[in-house]
Amino acid sequence: MDSKFVSKTTSVYPQEFILLSGRSNPQLASQIATLLKSDLVTPISLFSDGEIRVRIAPNLRRRYVYIIQSTAPPVNDSIMELLFMIDAVKRSSAAEITAIIPYFGYSRQDRKEMPRVPISSSVVTKMITQAGADRILTLDIHSEQQQGFTHIPWDNLYGSYSLLPVIKSKKLKNLIIASPDKGGMTRATGYAKLLNATGIALVYKERDVALNNKSDALDMIGNVGGKDVLLVDDMLDTGGTIVHAAKFLKQRGANSVRVAVTHGIFSGSALENITTSEIDEIIVTDTIGHSDAVKKNKKITIISVAPLLAKAIHYIQIGNSISSLII
Amino acid sequence: MKVFSGTANKELAERIAKELGIALSEFEIFVFPDGERRVQVRERVVEEDCIIIQPTSPPVDQNYMELFFMIDSLKRSGARKVTVVSPYLGYQRQDHVFRDGEAVSLEVIRSTLESTGLNKIVVFDLHTIKTPEIFTIDFVHLSALELFAKTIAAEHLNTSSSLLISPDMGGIRRIEILSKLLHNMPYATINKNRDLNSGKVEANELVNFQDNASYTSALIVDDMISSGKTIVAAVDLLRTKGISNIYVFATHPVFSDEAKELLGSSHAKKIFVTDGIYVPVNKRFPTLHILSLAPLIAKELSSS
Repeated sequence: MDSKFVSKTTSVYPQEFILLSGRSNPQLASQIATLLKSDLVTPISLFSDGEIRVRIAPNLRRRYVYIIQSTAPPVNDSIMELLFMIDAVKRSSAAEITAIIPYFGYSRQDRKEMPRVPISSSVVTKMITQAGADRILTLDIHSEQQQGFTHIPWDNLYGSYSLLPVIKSKKLKNLIIASPDKGGMTRATGYAKLLNATGIALVYKERDVALNNKSDALDMIGNVGGKDVLLVDDMLDTGGTIVHAAKFLKQRGANSVRVAVTHGIFSGSALENITTSEIDEIIVTDTIGHSDAVKKNKKITIISVAPLLAKAIHYIQIGNSISSLII
Repeated sequence: MKVFSGTANKELAERIAKELGIALSEFEIFVFPDGERRVQVRERVVEEDCIIIQPTSPPVDQNYMELFFMIDSLKRSGARKVTVVSPYLGYQRQDHVFRDGEAVSLEVIRSTLESTGLNKIVVFDLHTIKTPEIFTIDFVHLSALELFAKTIAAEHLNTSSSLLISPDMGGIRRIEILSKLLHNMPYATINKNRDLNSGKVEANELVNFQDNASYTSALIVDDMISSGKTIVAAVDLLRTKGISNIYVFATHPVFSDEAKELLGSSHAKKIFVTDGIYVPVNKRFPTLHILSLAPLIAKELSSS
């Protein structure tokens, strides 16, 4: 942490701030608190019927409050917990409430991809705004257009800030950055530029209309023969897409296939799929709290975003721009 | 009118549709491996009156989120009016700040429901009658007390030696209404203490109870049964007063984990609840009897 990073009890911060964490990712929250030399308030308990109970002990009047809560699985409880925390903070007369949502659940339901479906991400954003948040801070939100679902400021940072130094330290020669779908090309191009890669590649699904659009046949653009490939994506859920892409890249002669993702959900049989896959290594951040099985998996390297989020809180608190954190 | 069901209580929705003489309309609710839900209306709803049946009982957060998405999809698909029937309204007890630093969860729920474009909500036997006041949309508060009065008569429990009991002072309004429906059956109230920190319940004394009266039956009436501690404490207190025929009537079987064991082994002869909350088979016990709210709900829906 840089030297201007000092305790909130000194005069560097014009106003006092308070860090709050729900139950979704307490490890990340406590690392952020340690970096900021701050206490961490954990106000959540449960009633016997499973209803969430919030009680914040410290005085929040005129304080700047940062609520750290990934809306990760169990996603519905995590969201409601966040809302009740915001409500409790608002009622305690806080000066400003920043909802730090490292992983934003339901962000993939950001449009009407078929008739008569909700825009769930919009519903969630509206709830957060109405509960009283003054600012939202996310990491690698699935689509940045979601910032338009609300009128409050929404800062979106990137996991690449934390992932890039680790990837650079591997000193990979002949590096190709690949995207596992068409939508990820902007991200792949960005990584390629920052890592001085020799090229980019795109793996995409070749939909066969005759097969009722269900064909999983893959095709690709780019040449990966004898190259070290880094597949980049915003999230890894069941791992299906990434595992298939890695297999295809190896078939096309890739020397190695590594994966860099910001959000690791690892749901369903993800770990099994990864362990038996052609993937050589997965580098993932801790926006979602990981199970012991994920932490122990030899193919998975976990990089913390705590330094990035601690810096973001520090800059917000002293009134600096956070654009230097956007890589 | 189209009636849809969330996943909380499809059995009740089927019964309501049957009472209305219509088929239940289709709502697909897909659960992804990570637990996210994707709902989709499977019928055309443009300019339709749509009803969603979804008690917001445990798992409360999941049931609420599903409901918010269902309302959003109906509204975005052109429904003229959306009515939610949530016989049990989750988070209704957190309706004010009890201690500094708490949330008013019910207000978060209200503002979300209203902002999704909900037009009307139908609920049963709220914990406090002030809840409808915080809503700004059409709010219908129904009661199962009428159903209980009919059941009490059918079970021949309305004898001169029967007494209605409210297990706490907060239930006095409810017990007065039921007493009137049962030709002024006498009633008494238990003075209950709950330790806010430990959750321990103590039933201390009976208020408005004449020790010299020879009651042999007591009918305990409450809005909900959660852990079952309140009911068991009331049953035990009544037995010390020499009353052995004890029956329980509660609208909402919220039933947390220990409820089955506590209630099943209690000395209550029969425990009547409604189907406003679905009670899974593994939480049922021999003395539990489930009455259906479907006729009352169908009557309300077809009259408006």
